Amino acid sequence: MRSRIYTIISGHFKSWYRSKSNIFWTIAFPLLLIVLFGAIFGSGSTKFDLYLQNQDLSGNVPTPLSQGYVNVLNQTGAFNLHMVAAEQPDPLTFVKNDAQLHNRGQRLLVVPLGFNATVMSGDNATIKLFMDQSDQASASLRGIVDSVTVSYAAKIAGAPDHLFVQPVGIVTRNVRYIDFFIPGVIGMTLLTTGVFGAVNTNGRYRELKIIKKLATTPLSKIEWILGMVGYQMILATISLVVILFFGYAIFGVTVTIDIYTVGLVVAAALLFPGIGMVLANFVREAESADAAANAITFPMMFLAGTFWPRETLPDIMKVIANFMPLTYVNDGLRDALIYAQPAQALNNAIIALSLAAFFIILGSLLMNWKEE
Amino acid sequence: MSDNPPAPPLGQSDKVVQVDNLSKKYGDNVAVNDISFNLTKGEVFAFLGPNGAGKTTTVEILECLRNPTGGQARVLGYDVSKRSDQAEIRKRIGVLPQDFNAIDRLTVRENINYFGAMFKHQLDADKLIELVDLKDKRDEQFKKLSGGLKQRVGLAVSLVNDPDVVFLDEPTTGLDPRARRDVWGVIERLKGQGKTVFLTTHYMDEAEYLADIVSIIDRGQIIASGTPDQLIDTHGGKKTLIIRDAGQEGIRQLPLGLPKAELRNAGDIAIPLNNGELTNILMSLAQTPLHDKEIEVRRPTLDDVFLNLTGRRVSEEGN
Ligand SMILES: Nc1ncnc2c1ncn2[C@@H]1O[C@H](COP(=O)(O)OP(=O)(O)OP(=O)(O)O)[C@@H](O)[C@H]1O
Ligand SMILES: [Mg+2]
Repeated sequence: MRSRIYTIISGHFKSWYRSKSNIFWTIAFPLLLIVLFGAIFGSGSTKFDLYLQNQDLSGNVPTPLSQGYVNVLNQTGAFNLHMVAAEQPDPLTFVKNDAQLHNRGQRLLVVPLGFNATVMSGDNATIKLFMDQSDQASASLRGIVDSVTVSYAAKIAGAPDHLFVQPVGIVTRNVRYIDFFIPGVIGMTLLTTGVFGAVNTNGRYRELKIIKKLATTPLSKIEWILGMVGYQMILATISLVVILFFGYAIFGVTVTIDIYTVGLVVAAALLFPGIGMVLANFVREAESADAAANAITFPMMFLAGTFWPRETLPDIMKVIANFMPLTYVNDGLRDALIYAQPAQALNNAIIALSLAAFFIILGSLLMNWKEE
Repeated sequence: MSDNPPAPPLGQSDKVVQVDNLSKKYGDNVAVNDISFNLTKGEVFAFLGPNGAGKTTTVEILECLRNPTGGQARVLGYDVSKRSDQAEIRKRIGVLPQDFNAIDRLTVRENINYFGAMFKHQLDADKLIELVDLKDKRDEQFKKLSGGLKQRVGLAVSLVNDPDVVFLDEPTTGLDPRARRDVWGVIERLKGQGKTVFLTTHYMDEAEYLADIVSIIDRGQIIASGTPDQLIDTHGGKKTLIIRDAGQEGIRQLPLGLPKAELRNAGDIAIPLNNGELTNILMSLAQTPLHDKEIEVRRPTLDDVFLNLTGRRVSEEGN
């Protein structure tokens, strides 16, 4: 006797790989997205990207000396200056996200409040340059900033040693947009294959009376659900491997695979089918359930930081994102795969696993195995 | 009664299905209203009734998919309302649900083995494929098959555990006449093998052709039961003499004294026959221009039985 659960898994799996559209959505589409987004956001620039925050405002207008300094930096032609608003309370975090999004180097120069006054009074003023020592451009960039600063000081105060550039080391881990994007694509793929897979195998199979037929055999509801979840795990593993391999082969994205990655993939393979089951039981008609699945997965995909960092979202959206299960899968996968932040990965994995338990249990309870 | 009496074993002569005063209510809607019937081993039993009569509700109670709200039912001696008995029933019955579809992207053979794997023992897929005449479609995916072939896959799937009783819920609904005949052929083969078959249908001819016993169900109640012949003899009414293609003109040419003659379908004349009348009528017809028309004596059918019992006819669609 072959195991019933094995039979169900292999039945789902055969149905999956024999459908061209399934293969497209679970394999080809994510890869297409990677190539597309990688090409759009991955193009580098020959100039150095440099974020600049001029905090020295007077009545919303930069003070003359601070503005003069910015102009001189600009005139060197060596930088792509990206201005950070003076009100930005946490410029470093802002730069981290924005740089990732645009695939720029994470470097920030801060002209402090009181720069104009300090220079005028003849005191020493300090300009902070945040950059990663491992940044390949760091040495040359530092050299350019230093020489610009010295010559500017000589020009305005006649004394080159009045102005200091204070380098501050930050660890950027060299995360490019594509590094950020790959875990998001994995999360997105787990979301869609999970939700739509469950809607299909529970909603459509109900319409086709396959579930009714199975309920007249010795198969139990638990075995049926285990079979579906087992199949989802296999599919999730395939997606993960294919996407990571592709990311490495084309863009050289290297990742750390650890126990948290495994935990997150397991969580996702329970969580998203669980959501799909809940849907399929509330919306009984398979076609409407499909529409409902679309209505849920698409906004979730965007809000949960699949394509760009959540920090760039408007505040209200950020709040909503906190209620999106995908948020924790995406964050966890990034912490584990890219940022090597085991503690944060663990936190996210725990949240994702709890949500997974909730949804798979709810979906199982809601599912009518027999009639009525 | 003790908590767990051993399930009564089914002897040779016992009833395969035993239904006593069974009822099922959905809120105020009484889908099945106090029905009783039995099925004997080796019998083909047809549950005949229009849409919404309560056929599926009854069958699914017997398949342990729905709980009755009143009365009792036993399948193979096991009580359908008892959990421990339900497990025994599931091992031993074969089911073809109404509107069943197998898995689209599995082949005929894979589908049979898929459902077969749910049981401890399964019949050889190739033998079943032979039984339902699908040899050359064996490796074809289910979704590529025509409606009639799909239904034959459903039949094979319902037999995969070598069941003691097979429940077929409207196995030919929606099929073209040819495909319907093919399905009938399979059911006849089952009968030949001595299988007990519980068939639901709204096709009168299907019940008449296949069934040993027919129960007519209407609005949740059984209104008549018996062999097709018994039903027709008891409720079918008179035989009818049909004169084909005689038309309005033929009516005028009829010998006097046949007041009940009426025109039907495409110009056929129908004359109800009382016992012993036939010879006289034929002789008088011989004197008229109608003598060279095609003349036929039609026996009442289950259609007439249903019409006589309910005052309604059942359409092709079962309404
Ligand atoms: N799950 C349900 N909830 C409420 N009412 C139901 C349910 N299932 C069936 N009914 C009602 O019970 C009655 C009998 O339905 P049933 O499906 O048993 O008829 P049927 O003879 O199988 O008809 P058909 O030929 O259309 O299949 C109908 O009035 C139907 O509306
Ligand atoms: Mg029905």
